[in-house]
Amino acid sequence: MSEQLESLISLAKAKELVALLECDQIEMANEIITDIQSASSDALFDKVGVLTRQLHDSLEDFQLDTRIESLANDEFPDARERLNYVIEMTDKAANRTMDAVEACLPIADSFNDRIQQVMPNWKSLMSRDLQLGQFKELCNLLDDFLQVSVSDADSLRQYLTEILMAQDFQDLTGQMIRRVINLVQEVEVKLVEMLTMFGEAAKPLNKSAEQIKEISGIEAEGPIMNASERVDVVDGQNDVDDLLSSLGF
Amino acid sequence: MKKQIKILIVDDFSTMRRIIKNLLRDLGFSNTYEADDGNTALPMLKNGDYDFVVTDWNMPGMQGIDLLKEIRKDQALCHIPVLMVTAEAKREQIIEAAQSGVNGYIIKPFTAATLKEKLEKIFERIQ
Repeated sequence: MSEQLESLISLAKAKELVALLECDQIEMANEIITDIQSASSDALFDKVGVLTRQLHDSLEDFQLDTRIESLANDEFPDARERLNYVIEMTDKAANRTMDAVEACLPIADSFNDRIQQVMPNWKSLMSRDLQLGQFKELCNLLDDFLQVSVSDADSLRQYLTEILMAQDFQDLTGQMIRRVINLVQEVEVKLVEMLTMFGEAAKPLNKSAEQIKEISGIEAEGPIMNASERVDVVDGQNDVDDLLSSLGF
Repeated sequence: MKKQIKILIVDDFSTMRRIIKNLLRDLGFSNTYEADDGNTALPMLKNGDYDFVVTDWNMPGMQGIDLLKEIRKDQALCHIPVLMVTAEAKREQIIEAAQSGVNGYIIKPFTAATLKEKLEKIFERIQ
């Protein structure tokens, strides 16, 4: 305590009180004591009054802050919806991309098949060792190959564009996630306000949250966003392999 | 490596199941089945003579680590190799998985080459 201790009764008053008691003037002595008591209880009542008003004002402010109401009623359900939408959009984009890739693979395969068909006669032609019949066969195969290639190339271009377009989810989900981040930030500010308002009472809570975290060391956490800044996580497949081989794997 | 072995892919995200299914098919394994968490996977394993399990860790319902423990506890299933493919990256978790008898641990995001390498390693050990 840095404050200087102040006695509840002045030295003069105390001396007066002793003198009165020595002269057996009980009534007047009692009066002095009552005076002192009422002075200190008045101060106490004043303090309680001020605190009550502050608490009342804080609670009033809290209720008047319609932002909190709208956070709970509108923004949170909205954020939940947004995040669900992000899952939906990324799901669609991934499937759209994989559909296109799956459609491209057989085109690549047939491309290769046709080249293999043409190749023997083509090699003979290049080494000037081709019979007329083989030459006709080669021409037909090549003609066929060229015809099909035109439409195949067109299909490939369409699928590739489709893959390109499927990436548009990044922009849209990015915007949604950013909004949710803003919301979380706002809630954080409100929570800090509340914690300051209720001060000390919040401290033990903090501790127990930390304890819970400690207990659940193997609890699933999902993707780690800052792996390089943490010591309790591995950073990539090489780290995993090192750890496992250190365990005799 | 027998290509016709029966593989169960366990992941709660259908896109991830699809990616793994496609990668496995590319490697020549096309006899694949899917489950969306441990609770769905376990009865499938008990009734389906599977040869291999690829599982995520973090799933609603039964998590991958618990599925692994259930597989190792069950006399009929305990021989099945389990490959974990997960975003869970805590050292403690990897140690837990190793001690629970996992055969391989791949961290997401992963590449086709990593999957191939780990599969080959697991089959090498078994033979």
